Amino acid sequence: MKKSWIIALNTFHESLRKKTLYIVLVFGLVVIGASRLFSFLTAQEELKMIQDVSFSAIEFFGALIAIFGSLGAISSEIEKRTIYTLLSKPITRPHFVIGKFIGQKLILLINFVLLCLFFIGLLLFKKSMPNVEIFKALFLIYVELLLISSITLALATFTSDAFNIIFSFFLYIVGHLTSYGRQLLERTENIILKGLGDMLYTLVPNYENFAIRDKVVVGVPVSWQYVGKTTAYGIIYIVIAILIGIYFFQKREV
Amino acid sequence: MALIETKDLTKIYELGWNKKVIGLNQVNLQIEEGEIFGILGPNGSGKTTCLKLLLGVLFPTSGEALIMGKGPLDVNMKKHVGFLPENPYYYDYLTGPELLKFYGRLFDLSPAEINNRTARLLEMVGLAGAKRLSLRHYSKGMLERIGLAASLINDPKILVLDEPTTGLDPIGCKETRDLLLQLNQQGKTILLSSHFLSEVERVCSRIAIFHRGNLIEQGTLKELIGQYQANTLEDLFVKSIEKFDQQHPA
Ligand SMILES: Nc1ncnc2c1ncn2[C@@H]1O[C@H](COP(=O)(O)OP(=O)(O)O)[C@@H](O)[C@H]1O
Ligand SMILES: [Mg+2]
Repeated sequence: MKKSWIIALNTFHESLRKKTLYIVLVFGLVVIGASRLFSFLTAQEELKMIQDVSFSAIEFFGALIAIFGSLGAISSEIEKRTIYTLLSKPITRPHFVIGKFIGQKLILLINFVLLCLFFIGLLLFKKSMPNVEIFKALFLIYVELLLISSITLALATFTSDAFNIIFSFFLYIVGHLTSYGRQLLERTENIILKGLGDMLYTLVPNYENFAIRDKVVVGVPVSWQYVGKTTAYGIIYIVIAILIGIYFFQKREV
Repeated sequence: MALIETKDLTKIYELGWNKKVIGLNQVNLQIEEGEIFGILGPNGSGKTTCLKLLLGVLFPTSGEALIMGKGPLDVNMKKHVGFLPENPYYYDYLTGPELLKFYGRLFDLSPAEINNRTARLLEMVGLAGAKRLSLRHYSKGMLERIGLAASLINDPKILVLDEPTTGLDPIGCKETRDLLLQLNQQGKTILLSSHFLSEVERVCSRIAIFHRGNLIEQGTLKELIGQYQANTLEDLFVKSIEKFDQQHPA
C-alpha cells in the first residue's frame, strides 16, 4: 500500500506541475462566477440560480477533469516508456494500478475543493449561509466524480485513449439517462428488450442517483440515509472498476 | 546456479489476427556472478525483447526467464536489480534529484540514505551541476546519464542495461565504460546489450550474439574469435551472422 501511495504522490505531483487541468478549472470558475450576473432577478431567485448553475458547473467541469485527468494516467507512462523503469522496481502491477487510482483521486479532490470553495465564497458574498443540504449535494457530486474517474482509469488499462474518451462520455451521458430509459422499457412487452434493458441498468451506473441538487435548490431536505445509500452504491462501482483495472493491467504487455 | 538464466525463452509478438513476429526464439543464456555479459546483435535481433522478458515488462510465449532463480515478477528479486531501458525517458516535470528520490522510495530507502546516494550518483554521472533542471530540458545524453544513476539508486547486485551508450558522445561513452568496469570491480554483475562492437569488446568478459531472435553464438571473445578464425570482433560478428543466414534462410 505504501508503494501505491508513493506512485500516487508522483502522479499528483506531475499533474500539478503540468497545469493542463487548470484550463478546465478556470472555465468552471468562470461559469460559477457568471451565475451571479442574474442580478435582475429577485434576491431569492438569484440565490437559486447561483446554486443551480454552480452545482451543474461543478458536476460538469468536475466530470471533464475526472475524465481528462484519468485518460492519460496509464497511456502516458507507456508512451513515454517510464513504465519500463517503474515495473523493474520492486512493485507489483496492482501497486501501480492502485497508485494511479489514488493519484487521480487526489488530483480530482484538489480541483473539486477549489470549485466548491469558490461556490461557497459566492454564497457567503451574497450573505447566504450554506446549509448542510448544500454540502450533502456537493458530497454526492464528489462521489459521482470519483466514480467517473475510476471508470475512465479502468478503461485506460486495456483500451486506447481515443476509445476511452468516447466510451467514458458515452457512459456519462447514458448514466444520466438510465432512469428515463427504464421508464420507457417498463411499457414494453418484449421480454428480450426488457432483459437487455435491465442488464444495462445494472451494468451502467445511474449517475442521476447522485443528483440531489434539484431538491436542494428548492429547499427539499434529503435524508442522511439516502446520502449513505448512494455513497455505498458509488463505492461498489468504484471497487469493481479498480478490480477490473487490476485484472486487465496484470495481463498487459507494455 | 547461474545468476541470470533463460531457458528456451521465446517471445512471439502477435500483430492482429494472423500476423506473428518472432521476437526471441528459444534462447538459453547463463550469466554468472561477477561477469560483464554483452548481448550483441543488429537492430531488431531481439536484445531488448530478451531484457524486457527478464524484467517482467513482457511475458514469454514459452520458456523461462530467471534472475537469482526467481521469475520476473518476484518483488524481492527486483530489490537487487537496476535497469536502464533503451532510450530512457522519465517524468518531464521532475528534476534529477526528484526522480532519484521517487525511485529510492520505492526501495524503502530512508530519506537520509536517498539524499546521500543521490548526491553521490549525480556526481558520478556528471549531473551534479544540473540539479534544478527539469528532465524535459535534458538532452538525450543527459537522460542516459540520469537513467544510469536511477538504475543504481538501490545499489543493485545486478545491473541490466539496454544500449547504455546510445546517445552519448565519445567522451560520455568512455566515461560510461570506465564506470561499468568500476562497478563490476565493486562486485556488480552487469548484463548489457549493444550494437557498438567496440564498446562490447572493451568491457565484456563474455558475449552472446543475437540474430533474428536467435542466440547464434556465446562465449568469451577469445574463444569465439578462435572458433571463427576471425581477426576482429567485427569480422567475427559478420562471419557468425553469415553462417547463420546460410544455415537458416528466411
Ligand atoms: N511490441 C512489439 N510488437 C511487435 N513486434 C515487436 C515489438 N517489439 C519488438 N518487436 C519485433 O521483435 C524483433 C526484435 O526486436 P527488439 O527486441 O526490439 O530488437 P533489438 O533490441 O535487438 O533491436 C524485431 O523484429 C521487432 O520488430
Ligand atoms: Mg533494442
